Amino acid sequence: MSEQMTYILSEISKQNPLHGKKLKKTLSALKDYEQIADHVIDKYSALLKKQGRTIDYGIDCYLKMINDVTYESVQFIQSGKYTSTSFEEVNKRVYGNPEIMEYYMHGLIMSTVLWRHHYHIYNFFVNTFPKYTKDVKRYLEIGGGHGLFVSEAMRILPKDAAIDLVDISQSSINMAKGLIDSNRVNYILHDVYKYDKDKTYDFVTMGEVLEHVEDPLGLLKKIKSLLKDTGTAYITTPTNAPAIDHIYLFNNVQEIRDLIHKAGFEIKDELVLPTEDMTEEEANRTKTTLLYAAFIK
Amino acid sequence: MNQNEILAECNKIFIDQLDNPSIVLKRETTAADIDEWDSLNHIQIIVAIEKRFKIRFTSSEIQNFKSVGDMCDAIAKKVTA
Ligand SMILES: C[S@@+](CC[C@H](N)C(=O)[O-])C[C@H]1O[C@@H](n2cnc3c(N)ncnc32)[C@H](O)[C@@H]1O
Repeated sequence: MSEQMTYILSEISKQNPLHGKKLKKTLSALKDYEQIADHVIDKYSALLKKQGRTIDYGIDCYLKMINDVTYESVQFIQSGKYTSTSFEEVNKRVYGNPEIMEYYMHGLIMSTVLWRHHYHIYNFFVNTFPKYTKDVKRYLEIGGGHGLFVSEAMRILPKDAAIDLVDISQSSINMAKGLIDSNRVNYILHDVYKYDKDKTYDFVTMGEVLEHVEDPLGLLKKIKSLLKDTGTAYITTPTNAPAIDHIYLFNNVQEIRDLIHKAGFEIKDELVLPTEDMTEEEANRTKTTLLYAAFIK
Repeated sequence: MNQNEILAECNKIFIDQLDNPSIVLKRETTAADIDEWDSLNHIQIIVAIEKRFKIRFTSSEIQNFKSVGDMCDAIAKKVTA
């Protein structure tokens, strides 16, 4: 493990020993870890530097997010439900609240190299996306959050492709702007439901947003309307994943696939990632998070 | 329920959740003392404690559990309340 990852892990272990133990178990099993983790953390550190911060800020944010996830997980096991039920409420409490949104997005980008499923999903996107980019002229990402995926897409897309990023949160837009650091991307502060650009895009990416809405079928149909007839979308969403801003509960991966089909899409490439070392069946039975990713047309 | 009884009940829960009959909890016990205790099974332990004592912890209570003694104190406050 590289020097900076060793530092991050040792700080986490100091401040939250139970979580430090868990991370050591998880990370030791990841492939090509050192190089990829360093790439992500280098990119993130450049943003922190611009903000006059150090990686200690990222560690602090990550641990705050872990506290939230722990609490939400306990509630979820007890009630079988996510604690938030309406978009209104989450929009006010999280997306529109810089104090929470900022540590959340900084924590989330750290999770790319600290959570097994986020690490794998990042690699899946970076490795599979090039298959679909040849004729892409207009690219859209919805709910880009910290901006890591847009920044990777920018590297992979044809040089003349136009890139739009829509997010409802000013905090996310600010962070993405800083991380991406390029005026090639069009940053658009908007609720995707009210973003009307019919049949405009060759490719739409939407990572971990579907579980944030009351009506995921409506959102998939919205993506369909934004895409050209020949377009492709990439979506990711988890099952059984308690978080402060998750609203719609998918109980298993089949429910996600069914919804994708219902919206008129076909699944081209997909990946099912258990968050822990267990099979899909075990994860469903124990209501443990699975992350699902698919390229759909 | 007194502190010793609470500690004994927690001990049963740890043995059960971590699947290790040799665990002996003390108030001073921390993460460093029990190998298999990590943030993942910690969630199951908290849920089991809440069920056993019919209590609910707040987010900040959970964050402040640094030792088994902290947990027992939080439980004691709620069962006698
Ligand atoms: C969990 S983050 C996902 C970040 C990133 N895409 C990823 O996969 O890690 C969700 C993002 O979606 C945004 N979002 C949620 N609801 C939205 C909506 N209705 N319209 C636009 N953006 C939305 C949030 O502001 C947040 O930045």
